[in-house]
Amino acid sequence: MPSVSSNRREFTCGLREILPLSLGAGIYGLAFGLLAAQAQMDGLEVGVMGTIVFAGASQIVAVERIVAGAAGAVAVVAGIALNLRLLLITASIRDVFAGRPLWQIALGAHLTTDENWALMVSARARGQRAGYWYLVGAGINLLVVWVVATVVGVYFAGTIPEPRALGMDFAFTAAFIAIARSLWTGKHDLAPWMTSFATVALLVLPGFVDTSWALIAGGVAGATVAGVRHHE
Amino acid sequence: MQPSPGSDIMNEIWLVILPLAGVTFVIRMTGALMGQRLPQGGAWARALKALPGSLIVALVSVSLLAGGPHEWAAGAAAALVALITRNLPLTMAVGIGSIWLLRSFF
Repeated sequence: MPSVSSNRREFTCGLREILPLSLGAGIYGLAFGLLAAQAQMDGLEVGVMGTIVFAGASQIVAVERIVAGAAGAVAVVAGIALNLRLLLITASIRDVFAGRPLWQIALGAHLTTDENWALMVSARARGQRAGYWYLVGAGINLLVVWVVATVVGVYFAGTIPEPRALGMDFAFTAAFIAIARSLWTGKHDLAPWMTSFATVALLVLPGFVDTSWALIAGGVAGATVAGVRHHE
Repeated sequence: MQPSPGSDIMNEIWLVILPLAGVTFVIRMTGALMGQRLPQGGAWARALKALPGSLIVALVSVSLLAGGPHEWAAGAAAALVALITRNLPLTMAVGIGSIWLLRSFF
């Protein structure tokens, strides 16, 4: 078992290395706060929502539906559809949770988002020691930034420009491009990755399928190709 | 408490927040617990190992396909920087800077 001091080192590494991504989350948080204010949510409701849901895109989609006048159940279902991918995400890092007490699994799972999960697998691909405490450290940074930014946004977001006007809507796309680069291990990744891309393109371009389902289908299709193929 | 349209909306908010939080937590926990029960070797292990890369490619694909030439060009610029430097903050800065410039001037 790793020592307490190496756990602490991983924790602070995660806390620090997530910063560029949590900055992006902060900009989105301010925008979400403005949206939440339009849904007549107050700072407490926004803060609690950010803490216990802690899945930004689903919060945005759900509150957008409310602002558009949809029923609560419609907002919940839209948010849940977007979050189904988190099942694949937490399953893909099963070794991080292996052998841990239930409370640690629960804490780590709740703190897992696209951003700290992707950062952790990328750090590992580059040979860094990044496990459970790295994920948790990065997750806590994200949670604090997200909650503070969304609550601040309820009161002040009117005074800052939209993420899109700053080009910030592209922050995560660029980040995931960098992370994909570090996950590339060689030619055997080509078939799964092309499969994932082709699946997403085939589902999204004709407009038949919502992007949240296309995302899951792409990830599963790519992983399936890698799974059924025998190692050369 | 005076009954008002405002208080209806307030109650409705909690009826959105609490189920969304509960189900999202169950989704995250299901993945974490189910992952442990899947076989540690063979096809399942290979698929799970390839899952992060496939999912990240899917995430990037969704967002680039939702965009147009501006997003594709900024994505290409970011990919170039990622290939050369493997630096996350720099790739993000170039991606954000390129999309901003492209949208402002083209």
